Amino acid sequence: MTTTDVQKPAAPAAPARWQPAPGLRLVWLHWRSRRVPAAVLALAVCGGVLRAALEWGWLFRTGHFAQEFPMIIEGGAAAVLVITTHSPFGEPERTASRWLPYLRLGTAAAMTGVAIGVLQLAVTGASLDGGILVMARNVIGIAGIGLLSSLVTGGLLAWVLPMGYIAFAEYALLESWTNPWTWPVRPPADHGAWLCACAVFAAGVVAFTIRGARTRLADDS
Amino acid sequence: MTAVALSRSRPAPVLRIEIRRSVVLWAVPLLLALFYFDSFRTAAGFPPVWTVRSSVITSHMVADFGPFAAGLAAWVASREGRRKTDDLLATTVRPAWARQASALGATLFWLLLTFLAGVAAIYIDTARQATWGGPPLWPVAVGVVGVVTFAVIGFTAGALFPGRFTAPLAAIGTFLLAEIGFHAALQVVPGGSTYALLSTATAVPLGDDGVFYRVAPDLSIVQVMFMGGITVALLGLLTLAPFFRVAYRGLLAGVSRTGRWLCVAGVALLAAGVTAAATAFALAGTAQLAVSGWAIPALHDSASDQPVPYTPDCAGTSFKVCVHPAFSGFLGGANAALQPVAAEIAGLPGAPVRAEQVPSGEGVRAAQGLVLPGLRRAGLSGTPPVYNYTSDNGLAPFFGSPEGTDNAGWRAGFQQVFLTAFIAGQPHVSPGRDAAVLPPNAAQQAVITALMTAVGSPAPVFGEDTTNGQPTAGATPTQIAAAAQRFASLSSAARHAWLAAHLPALRAGRVTLAQLP
Repeated sequence: MTTTDVQKPAAPAAPARWQPAPGLRLVWLHWRSRRVPAAVLALAVCGGVLRAALEWGWLFRTGHFAQEFPMIIEGGAAAVLVITTHSPFGEPERTASRWLPYLRLGTAAAMTGVAIGVLQLAVTGASLDGGILVMARNVIGIAGIGLLSSLVTGGLLAWVLPMGYIAFAEYALLESWTNPWTWPVRPPADHGAWLCACAVFAAGVVAFTIRGARTRLADDS
Repeated sequence: MTAVALSRSRPAPVLRIEIRRSVVLWAVPLLLALFYFDSFRTAAGFPPVWTVRSSVITSHMVADFGPFAAGLAAWVASREGRRKTDDLLATTVRPAWARQASALGATLFWLLLTFLAGVAAIYIDTARQATWGGPPLWPVAVGVVGVVTFAVIGFTAGALFPGRFTAPLAAIGTFLLAEIGFHAALQVVPGGSTYALLSTATAVPLGDDGVFYRVAPDLSIVQVMFMGGITVALLGLLTLAPFFRVAYRGLLAGVSRTGRWLCVAGVALLAAGVTAAATAFALAGTAQLAVSGWAIPALHDSASDQPVPYTPDCAGTSFKVCVHPAFSGFLGGANAALQPVAAEIAGLPGAPVRAEQVPSGEGVRAAQGLVLPGLRRAGLSGTPPVYNYTSDNGLAPFFGSPEGTDNAGWRAGFQQVFLTAFIAGQPHVSPGRDAAVLPPNAAQQAVITALMTAVGSPAPVFGEDTTNGQPTAGATPTQIAAAAQRFASLSSAARHAWLAAHLPALRAGRVTLAQLP
């Protein structure tokens, strides 16, 4: 008796299923490999906590301390989105995919937009100190720090530096620092703060698009 | 000796490897930078008083280190789960709890080493400047237990829910927890939120906390018990974690496989931790404000409510200026400020012969119910009259570095408060939670301004309060300044004679601006 004898007969062909366009499928697979759906869920949790804080009075509504709690949430959202920079495939993916830089760019930009959108949705109808401008600026700037950090630490540990910046910004907030690079403490329409936050984000996105997150360190640690 | 026996008998090499390869090492520079900018600089801005500077350990350092401790511990704990090596490692001779203990131990090693290095930096800097007292240890104990608790919370999250998002979410979650505690601590009132007292965060302390009365360790004990309880309970949960993974029917088999003693130890740890934390929570709910801080009746030692004996440091001859020895650095500034104005009022009825520092705790904070009555009141009292002042002086506090008192602005503030007490009597405080000290009336302000001008100090600022659109003082600042200039232009003897005759009426508020010569 040979192996051919024990092979089961081939199953009847399944009815043809709808297949998405190859480009969409590539994007979806890229997102799944980066745990983007889980990240969106984590962002929703961040938004929920911010809403709960506003509803139940866990934060100061005005004054120096009013930005502290939202800033942690915004930094947290940025930290969550930079975790999606980690690739589970490492070097082989870099050599095999010519679309990878575009996918990285699209994912980073889309996740930043989703983070801002989710947080804005969470505070709709509630009075948030600084409004959407400060919130968007914080998410953009801190995400930029995280993207830059991912080039050194790898995606999985890229949350550490953004968290450090948040802790530092909390101190700057209490001390009423006015440097533009401490943008969380600046007024919503401050040009210098916007310039700094956008510059950091642009640098982070460009570097991440070209280089991608470091793959070795995070896996080895 | 076989490899198995060697492995069982020597856990230290595993710990050494974990310490050498710990991810926390990467975060140490960041933690040190945060420590310098936030904790160290904040402590350096406080007066060189041990108890005041050590408050930074619990209020700033724990908040700086805690989120990173949680996040990095979660990262370390989720290692096996992230790499999906649980089954592979289950076949090794070392049990899961031993591997986890080594990983947690290595994480705590670097975190606590960095934390204690920060504490040492603050204490060494304080030792170089402090003139009285010694380093308190309770804040260090609370801080260490706080960092350990944050780390264990993160470690438990990482071990139970391994994933790439666990570490940042643990860090953010604990950051928010600390922030909510800070929010509660800033609004703490007697009989208020228990969480506010259990939180290690505090508002900026009074400059003389723990100087005239010892800081009772009651709250520190409860905080250590609460956080320690949480830590022990979570360690119990980690010990029991393998049993959660087996189905109900396989529970007994699971117990026999993993070891009954481990199961018993896990349950015991969980029960002990929950009991300790619950007891601490209940005890914190009974806290009352005492002269020595928050007193918890079940733990309080009434001996700590007794004043701490000290010999004041004094300067001057006919008019003595005295400070508590903890504030010796401020004596020169206080003496330089008070001697000229004391000479201006010497011999007048009720003129003080001495200025003495007394415990803070009057005025606005008293109106908020945050300080106790019964302490010596700031202002003039006794026979012969003594001017009592506190380090919590609104215009010229004993806060920050003593070198900060070596300027005309600080001296003018100190003189203004002194003369206000002499000319206008006890400050009037408006009622309610938003209590404010009301300014002297127009004539009193003019006389105070004139006396300060006479000794070459800048004119005092009383503010331009209005009530129903009218100046609260009874005249506009311009009218007061003109009257003050008129009075200051008199000779010293003429001013003295007028004050000797009219001081009781002026103090009672019966002299108008127009009646000033």
